[in-house]
Amino acid sequence: MNDPYRILGITPDATDDEVKKAYRKLAKKNHPDRYQNSPLAEDASEKMKEINSAYDTIMNMRRSGNNYSSGGTYSDSYSSSASHGRYSDIRILINNARFDEAEQRLSSIPPSERTAEWYYLMAVISYHKGWLEETYNYASAACRLAPDDVEYRSFFSRIRSQRNGDYTSFGGNSSSGCGCCEMFTCMLCSDCLCNACCRS
Amino acid sequence: MFGYIRPFNDELRLKDHQLYKSVYCGLCRSMRKNYGILSTLALNYDCTVLAMLYMSVKNERCSVRRGSCSINPLKKCLLCSCEGEALEFAGAVSVIMSYYKLRDTINDSGFPKRLSAFFGRAALYRNYKKAVRKYPYIDSLTSEMMKRQLEAEKENSGVDRSADPTAKLISELCRSFSDDEKNKRTLSVFGYHVGRWIYLMDAADDLEKDIRHKSFNPFKGRYDGDIKHTMIYCNEVLNMTAAQIVLAYELLELNSFKAILDNIIYSGLSYQQKKYTETRFIAKDKNKDYYGMLDEIE
Repeated sequence: MNDPYRILGITPDATDDEVKKAYRKLAKKNHPDRYQNSPLAEDASEKMKEINSAYDTIMNMRRSGNNYSSGGTYSDSYSSSASHGRYSDIRILINNARFDEAEQRLSSIPPSERTAEWYYLMAVISYHKGWLEETYNYASAACRLAPDDVEYRSFFSRIRSQRNGDYTSFGGNSSSGCGCCEMFTCMLCSDCLCNACCRS
Repeated sequence: MFGYIRPFNDELRLKDHQLYKSVYCGLCRSMRKNYGILSTLALNYDCTVLAMLYMSVKNERCSVRRGSCSINPLKKCLLCSCEGEALEFAGAVSVIMSYYKLRDTINDSGFPKRLSAFFGRAALYRNYKKAVRKYPYIDSLTSEMMKRQLEAEKENSGVDRSADPTAKLISELCRSFSDDEKNKRTLSVFGYHVGRWIYLMDAADDLEKDIRHKSFNPFKGRYDGDIKHTMIYCNEVLNMTAAQIVLAYELLELNSFKAILDNIIYSGLSYQQKKYTETRFIAKDKNKDYYGMLDEIE
């Protein structure tokens, strides 16, 4: 097994707080929710498991030495609600990564019988192909037809926020910065400068 | 269609910037050595990034030394060289892709451009043949891509379909970097969206020209040629693609050049995007800081 410290990107002499901080940062970055319906969902959840077990290993190692308590790890269970009648076999095809077949089956359904779920499943298939415009259009159609469905809505709101430029794990990149944070960093920086002057 | 993937230099540390430049110069040197001096005409930024990604994924050992520029021997520069094939591979990619690009220009441009493209192609021909001998699969992938691209343009396809050929090409190239099945999958998704992003950036960049010359552009059908609205739309489409790049990037297992690659993915992409879309067409208010260079003063 890999070195748990390397997985978290820290050195063995990191303090418990640093370990926790590194873990939280990584957990946020690789959280399965960000990869919902993505072709990389499985890899992300695997990585999450790796991070979780690395964190547990480190914390257990340390606890046997001294009595620090660890925060609970993030759970990585993500299951899609699959209690739908007509499209359940198509969902199975999608879950087994047989996208071409699923797309054919969906296309053969005449336009008059297409429900919100039809649009949602088309969106998921397009997302796997990397055809993001179609994904966006299908997902928005699904939400229009069934505004109250949690599954469709959470998927759509995620891709919509990506579209508006909010996509890094640390929430940067959107046009308006956080005033508070900036002020705080300014204060920190000036503090550092003061130290530098006094010491030299 | 080259040169959109670049770091945001203002946020890059000086030492990383020098390392980036050394890879650029190293790639130039390696192209001169492997494919002849004329091949350095095909040098570009995207392939520099490709070389770095290759070295980082394969964990190739590289070294930086002082040397002189391949084109101007009086100029001193840092040169990066590596033990593996990264630079040779990236050089072959840029030679082969430039060759096809020139061939494309000969087929569908006005006379003066056609003439210069003709000479360019003649100059590159021998280098191209040499690159193909070493990497036949790059050639077959690129020619396949060009064929599919032409079909997509003939059918006047939408955004997704016309970006697909370039995206697939970069996806396949990135896929070849790793032997591990899991890494291959991540790399191919990463490459797909990088290719898509490059294609769409190029389309957004050419939009004005294409409307004037009435040539194909996937964004043209929107908003009846109203550039400002179309640019807002382009930006949204590019944002979504960049989001997918970030998601895949965070699962990659990288070994070196991390600071530069981070900078490119997290800042470079959005900076370039803004430069080509927002600031060129949307920004009219001179008092606003569109580049985000100044901290906001309340």
